[in-house]
Amino acid sequence: MIAVLALVAGVVLGIVFHPSVPPALQPYLPIAVVAALDAVFGGVRAKLDGIFDDRQFVVSFIANVVVAALIVYLGDQLGVGGQLSTGVVVVLGVRIFGNVAAIRRHLFRA
Amino acid sequence: MTSAEGGAERRTYTPDFLTELFRNPLDPGYADAAARKARGEGPTGARQRVLTGVTALTLVALGFLLVIAYQQTVADEPEATKARDTLIQQVQNRRSDTDKLQARADQLGNEVAQLRQSELGGAAVARLRDLEAETGLAPVRGSGAKITLGDGPTPINPVTGNRSTEARVRDSDLQLAANALWAAGAEAISVNGQRLTATSTIRQAGEAILVDFQPVTSPYTIMAIGPDKLAEAFRDGYAGKFFKELVSRYGMSFDATSAKDMTLDAATELKLRVAVVNTPPPASGSPSAGSGSAEPGGSPSNSPSKGGR
Repeated sequence: MIAVLALVAGVVLGIVFHPSVPPALQPYLPIAVVAALDAVFGGVRAKLDGIFDDRQFVVSFIANVVVAALIVYLGDQLGVGGQLSTGVVVVLGVRIFGNVAAIRRHLFRA
Repeated sequence: MTSAEGGAERRTYTPDFLTELFRNPLDPGYADAAARKARGEGPTGARQRVLTGVTALTLVALGFLLVIAYQQTVADEPEATKARDTLIQQVQNRRSDTDKLQARADQLGNEVAQLRQSELGGAAVARLRDLEAETGLAPVRGSGAKITLGDGPTPINPVTGNRSTEARVRDSDLQLAANALWAAGAEAISVNGQRLTATSTIRQAGEAILVDFQPVTSPYTIMAIGPDKLAEAFRDGYAGKFFKELVSRYGMSFDATSAKDMTLDAATELKLRVAVVNTPPPASGSPSAGSGSAEPGGSPSNSPSKGGR
């Protein structure tokens, strides 16, 4: 319940303040979103598994976003930014899929 | 991320990374934390409440992130279309400007023609009109031939994905047709409404064909005013044979028919490149007449410098 409220609060804050992203950070935004979604689905699955842990969730969220941004940054510097972004999206996408499948099994028993 | 003790009870061997990823997408940290909690080592009381608060803050950040990403994506789209709209607007503005200027030029041309008629009168005007009709400066009317040329099918090669351009009408085809018509005695020719003059160009620019720098597209209609047998002469001449060969080989369309009562517009612009006063101003004339006749010679005299292109 708190989690949902916090999420809504974040959305409202974003709409109210309407921040503009500096152009230098723009390439990292999609990757950061995918990384954050991975952490969130992991957390939801853990919740349903009954093993949710606040510390683990926060650390995995921040670490995911930072590492994903770092990989993209490194890739940009090396000239393989596009390929590395694809790699990050594939790995995180697979994890998201797996976690969503687990959530689905929890919710629908199928 | 793979901690040894997390999955130790379920795994007897270490699978490679991707297999591990597919089999167990959940962070093993959750299992570790659960195990710690079961052992009674987990955070309790005030510490737990702080952690819950941090989680809530993280979720706020997440919602914030999602909204920013959404707004960014939405904002990017109009940025691109805005630039395109501006360009389209500019093109349309320039086009309407051109139309206005062209209309004004036509109007002034008519005025000049009327003034000339009233000033000169008689045989001189008739001679001028004939000359203008021949050179393409004046619209002409009459019967002659109508040649239609169209692109053949341009299938896309399924292997390379490139469009075959073999069956397209090329500038050289139009040049050949125009030259054959001149040779067959045509007096005036227009390609898709573009009147040809002695200095007209028919050129290929990429995929487009430009007639006097105006793009023309398939099907190409070449109208020519000339003798009654012009269409037959064209059809039976070398050009007709050439186009029939193109039709049978590439599937282009070709048609040459006689046409009656066609009107060919004047050429849009004919750049005067060289002008010479062929009769010296009469010495007996008044000085004002002398300066008057020097003036028309004066303005073309600076055009040879531009004529080099």
